[in-house]
Amino acid sequence: MELIILLKRKHQTHNNKYKTRLSLLFYFLKGSKRYFLLSLIFAGCVSVLDLIFPKIIAFTVDRIITDTDSSASYTGGFFNYIVERAGGYEYIRANMYLVALFVLLMAFLAVTFRYLFQFFNSLGAESLIKRIRDLLYDHILKLPMSWHSSNHTGDIIQRATSDVETVKNFLSDQLTNFIRVIVLIVLSIAFMASINLPLTLVAVILMPVIILYSLIFHGKIASSFLKVDEMEGRVSSIVQENLTGVRVVRAFGRESYEQDRFVSMNERYVNTWIHLMRLLSKFWATGDLISGLQILFILVAGSILCVNGNISAGNLIAFISYNSLLTWPIRMLARVVADMGKAGVSIDRIQYILNSEPEDFEDPLKEQDSFKELSDPKAIRELFKKDIEFKNVSFSYKEGAMALSDISFRLKGGQTLGILGSTGSGKSTLINLLDRMYDPDKGSILIGGTDIRSLDRRGLRENIGLVLQEPFLFSGTIRENLIIACREPSEEKVKKAVKTAALEETIRDFTRGYETYVGERGITLSGGQKQRLAIARMLLTECPVMIFDDSLSAVDSETDLRIRNALKESDLKATRIIISHRISTIMNSDLILVLDKGRLIESGSHEELLSLKGKYKRFYDLQNFGLE
Amino acid sequence: MNERKSHGFFGIAFLLPYIKPYRKKILIMVSLGIVSSLIDSLYPLFNRYILDHNIALKTLDTLPFLIIIYIALLSFQVWDNYYTTYICSRLELWMDRDLRNKSFCHLQTLSFTYFNKHSVGYIHARIMSDTGKIGELVSWRFMDIIWNLSYIVCIVIVMLFVNVKLALVIIVLIPVSVIIILLFQKKLLPLNKAVREINSKISGHLNEGITGIHTIKSLVAEDRMNCDFKAETLNMKRASVKTAHHSALFTATMTFMSYAALSLILWQGGQLTLDNIILIGTLSVFMSYALDILEPIQNLIKSVSILISIQANIERLRELLNTESDVKDSKEVRERYGDAFLPRKENWEELKGDIEFKDVSFIYPDGDEYVLKDFNLKVPFGTNVAIVGETGAGKSTLVNLVCRFYEPTKGQLLIDGRDARERSQGWLHANLGYVLQTPHLFTGTVRENLIYGKPDASDEEIFTALKAVSADELVKGLRDGLDTDVGEGGNVFSTGERQLISFARAILCDPRILILDEATSSVDSVTEERIQRAIKTLIKNRTSFVIAHRLSTITDADVILAVRDGRIVEQGNHRELMAKRGYYFDLYTSQCVKYRDE
Repeated sequence: MELIILLKRKHQTHNNKYKTRLSLLFYFLKGSKRYFLLSLIFAGCVSVLDLIFPKIIAFTVDRIITDTDSSASYTGGFFNYIVERAGGYEYIRANMYLVALFVLLMAFLAVTFRYLFQFFNSLGAESLIKRIRDLLYDHILKLPMSWHSSNHTGDIIQRATSDVETVKNFLSDQLTNFIRVIVLIVLSIAFMASINLPLTLVAVILMPVIILYSLIFHGKIASSFLKVDEMEGRVSSIVQENLTGVRVVRAFGRESYEQDRFVSMNERYVNTWIHLMRLLSKFWATGDLISGLQILFILVAGSILCVNGNISAGNLIAFISYNSLLTWPIRMLARVVADMGKAGVSIDRIQYILNSEPEDFEDPLKEQDSFKELSDPKAIRELFKKDIEFKNVSFSYKEGAMALSDISFRLKGGQTLGILGSTGSGKSTLINLLDRMYDPDKGSILIGGTDIRSLDRRGLRENIGLVLQEPFLFSGTIRENLIIACREPSEEKVKKAVKTAALEETIRDFTRGYETYVGERGITLSGGQKQRLAIARMLLTECPVMIFDDSLSAVDSETDLRIRNALKESDLKATRIIISHRISTIMNSDLILVLDKGRLIESGSHEELLSLKGKYKRFYDLQNFGLE
Repeated sequence: MNERKSHGFFGIAFLLPYIKPYRKKILIMVSLGIVSSLIDSLYPLFNRYILDHNIALKTLDTLPFLIIIYIALLSFQVWDNYYTTYICSRLELWMDRDLRNKSFCHLQTLSFTYFNKHSVGYIHARIMSDTGKIGELVSWRFMDIIWNLSYIVCIVIVMLFVNVKLALVIIVLIPVSVIIILLFQKKLLPLNKAVREINSKISGHLNEGITGIHTIKSLVAEDRMNCDFKAETLNMKRASVKTAHHSALFTATMTFMSYAALSLILWQGGQLTLDNIILIGTLSVFMSYALDILEPIQNLIKSVSILISIQANIERLRELLNTESDVKDSKEVRERYGDAFLPRKENWEELKGDIEFKDVSFIYPDGDEYVLKDFNLKVPFGTNVAIVGETGAGKSTLVNLVCRFYEPTKGQLLIDGRDARERSQGWLHANLGYVLQTPHLFTGTVRENLIYGKPDASDEEIFTALKAVSADELVKGLRDGLDTDVGEGGNVFSTGERQLISFARAILCDPRILILDEATSSVDSVTEERIQRAIKTLIKNRTSFVIAHRLSTITDADVILAVRDGRIVEQGNHRELMAKRGYYFDLYTSQCVKYRDE
C-alpha cells in the first residue's frame, strides 16, 4: 500500500514537469534563445531599413529632383543634414550618382542585416530542433515497455518526426516571421501616418476585413484538409495491400477487381482534392480582389489629396510603396495564425511523450539498503549465477485479463528450463517479468534470494541475455549488429559466438562477410538467419542467464539441434530458459513448465511429464503422429 | 546514361500521351496566364498617368475613367487568376489520377521477377509520390515558367516603350543576375540534397529506436543508440546551418541587386527628370520595375531547376511502365480467352487437372544457374505432390512454374495434355487455389476475405468451406461473425487462425489444382493439429502441391520431391525414400523425436 502511495506521489510530480505548452516551449528553447533574440534584433533592423528606402525616394523626388519644398517630415532633418554634408542640393543635382551611392550604401546595410537575421534564425532553429529530437529520442528509449506496447509505433514516429518538424517551422519560421510582420506593419502604419493621416486611414480600413476573412476561411478548410489526408491514406493502403498480397491477387485471378477498387478510390480522392482546390482558388481570387481594391482606394484618394496640395508627389510615391509593403504581410498573417493552431496541437502531441514516465522513475525499492549493496557489477554478475525463483507471481496487462496467475517455481543456477504452451498461455509474459520489462502485480521474483525489483534495470538486463522470436536487427553491418551490446570483443570471441549460433557458413557465403549490410539498406536475411544472428549477438554478452523466447522457430530442426548441442558444450555455464512449441527443443531440459491460459498446469522433467499423461503427453503425441 | 537522353526533352516526350487529353485546357490555361502577367505589368502605368497627368496638371478630370478602367482590369484579372488556378489544380490532379491508375493497372500485369527485384516501399513510392511530382510539374511548374517568362517579357516591352535608355539600364542587370542565381544554385542544390539525406537517416534511427525498443532494452544498448543518434542530429545541425548560410547569402545578394537597379534608375532617371526629358511618373514606373523584375527571374530559375530534378521521378516511373511481364499470353490466346481485366469466360474449357513437366529446364530471370534441368514428372489428376527440403533450398520453384508465375526456360508445362501457354493465365488462375506460407488477409471483413476468389458465394457455401477446414467455430465465436473486421493485415487473428481462414478462402473456389505452402512460423500444437486435419480435407479430389516443413504431415503423399541447393535430389513415396537411406531419410530422422532417441 505504501508503495502505491509513493508511486502516486511521484507520478504527480513528474506530470507537472511540462504543465503548459509555454513551459515546454521554454524548455525546448534552452540554448537557442540567444540566437533567436539576435535574429529578432536584426529583423527589426531589416524592417526599419526597408521602410527608410521609400523615404529616401520621396526625399529625392521632392527635394532634389522637383524641388517642391513641401511639409517637412521628421526624417527630413536627417536627410537635410546628409545633403548639407555632401555639398548641398545644387552639388547633388549636378552629381546624381551620389544619390545612387547613398542608396547602395543603405542597401548594403540592409542586406547585411537581412543575412544576419536569416543566419541567426536558422542557427536558432537548428539548435532547437536538435535539442527537441535528442530529448525525445532519449526519453522514448527510457519509456517502459508498457508504454511502447500501448502506443502505436506509427503514431510515435509521427510525433517524433512530423510534429517536431511542425514545431520547428513554427518557432523558426512562423514565429519570427510573425514578429517581423507585426513590426513591419506597425512601423509602416507609423511612417504612413507621418506622411498623411487621412490616407493612412484609407489604407488600413480594409485590413481587418482581410484578416478576418482569412481567419474564417482557414478555419473552414481545416476539415477539408483532414478529409483529403484521410482519402490519400486509403488510396495508399490499397496500393500497399495490393503489393504485399500480390501473390494472392494473382493466384485468385482478381486483378480486375483490384483495379476497380483502386480506380474508384482514386477518383474519390481526386474529387475531394478538386473540391478543396476550388475553395482555395476562390479564396486566393478574393484576396487578389481586396488588395487590388485597396491599391485603387489609395491611388484615387492619394491623387485627390495631391491635386489639392495636401501631399507631395514624392510622398505619394513613398506612400504607395509602404502600402505595397503591407499587402503580402497582411495576407500572410492569417495563415500564420491558422498554422499556430496546428503547432499547438503538435506541441501537445510531443508533450504527451515527454510527460510519460520513464521506467526507472518508479522503482519503489530504489531507496532500500540492499539496492546500494549491489552497485558493484561483479557482485551482480555473481548473483545471477544463482537460483531463479518465482514466488506466487501474478500479472495482467489489462485489468480483468490475467496474463499470469500464481506462478511459482525454482530453477537452480546453471540448469535449463523449458517452457511449453499455446499462444497466449503466458510464456512471453513470464520472460518479460524476469527481464523487468514489467513488474509483477503480486508475488515476487528472486534471484539468489534477492528481489529483482531492488536491482537496477540496466544492471539486471546486462546479465540476462534475451533472444526474441522475431529479433530486431539494426541497419548496419553484421559485425556492427553482433557487437552492439558489448564493447570491443576480441575477434576470437566473435568467431566463437558465430560458430555456436551456426552462422559461420552463412556469413562465409556472403561476399562481404562480416561487413555485409543488413536491414533497411542491405540484404534481407531469412527469418532463420536473423534468429541465428540474434543468438550470436546475445552469446557475445556472456550473460549468466540466457533466454530463448521461441527463437529457434524459423531454424530447421537440424540446425536447431546443432545450436543446442553447441550451447551445451560451450564453456559458458549459463542458466538457460528455452521457450518453444517443439517438444524436441525442450525435452532435454532439467525442468519443464507447461503453461495454459496463464496457469502453470504441469511441471517436471520430460519423463515425469510423460508419465503424467496430461497436456504434455498430448503435445508430444501430436508432434510425432504419422510415425510408424 | 546515353539511353536517358534518348527519350525527349526533359522526359516530356514520355508524358505526351498523358498530357494529350487535356491539351485544350492547357491551351486556355497558358493564354489566360499570359494575359494575367500582361495586366500585372501594366499596373505601374496607372501611377505614372496619375503622377504625370492628374498631379502634374493638378486636375481630376480623367479620374472616373481611370477608376473604371482599373476596376475593369482588376475584375478581369481576378476572374482570370481564379480560373487559371482552378484549371491548373484540376490538371495536376487529373494527371496524378491518370498516372496512378495507369501504373497501378500495369503492376497487375507484371510478373514476379519485378516484385522480387523491387521492395514494396519502392514500388509504393513510384505510384504514390512520383506521379504526384509529375502532376505538379506539368501543371504548377509549367504554369510558373509560362507566367514568369511572359511577365519578364511584358515588363521589358513596356519599359522599352516608355523609355529606351532607362529600360536598357535594367535589362543589362538581367544576365548578371541570371549568372549569380546559377552560381548559387550550383552550390545550394547538393547542400539541400545532403540535408535531405541526413534527415532520412534520422528518421531511420528514430524508426529503429521505436520498433526495436524491446531488443534495445534487453541488450542495454540505450547509451549507444543515443550516442549514434546525437551524432546524426549534430551532423544535421551543421549541414543545415551551412545551407542556411549560403541561402541567406543568396537572398542578400539578390536583394542587393534589386537595390542596385533602383539606385541606377535614381541616378540615370533622376538626371533625365532634372533635365526635363522624362516626368516623375515615368521615373516612378521604372523604380517599381527595378524592384519587381528580379523576383520573376528567381522564380523562373527555381522552376527550371525543379523541372530538372523531377527528371529522376519521370525516369523511375517510365521504367515501371516500360517493364514488360516475363509471362505474357500470346495475341491469339488473348483474343480467344481474354486478359486479366476482360476475361472471355465463354471460351474457357473445363480444367481437368492433369499436369506434366516435359523436359523442363529453368533459370530464374535474375539468376544464372539452372535450377531445373530436363525435368520430367507426370502428375495425373488427384495426385498429391509434396516438396521437402531445408529453408532456402528452392522448394517454391516447381510451384512458381505450375502457377505460371514464371515460364520454363526450356521444355513444356502441359496442363490436360496441352502446353500451358496455349491458354490464358486467367483461365489457369481461375482453377487454381493457392495458400501462402504467410497467410495474407486484406483489410475488410471476414466475409470479404473469404469470398475474395468467389465474390458471389452464399453464406451457406462459406460455412461449408469453413466447416471443411474446421474453422466454423472460430468464425461463429467472433462478435460480428462473418462481418467482423479482420484489422490491418488480419491482426485480429493469430497466425494459425489466419492460416485456417486462408484455407477456407482457397477451398471456397473449389479449385482443381491446389498449391499449399506450409507455414514455417510456429503455431501451437492444438492449432497445428487442426491445420493438419484441414490439409487432409483440402487435398482430397484435387491435384495438389504441398511445400512441407514438417515431414510428419506428408508421409502419405503420392510423390515426394526432396530439394537440396535448388535441385531435386530424390523422388518417390515415403516408403521408397526411407528405404533409400539418403537425403530424405536424414531430413526425416532429424525431425522426429523417436528416431533421434535411439
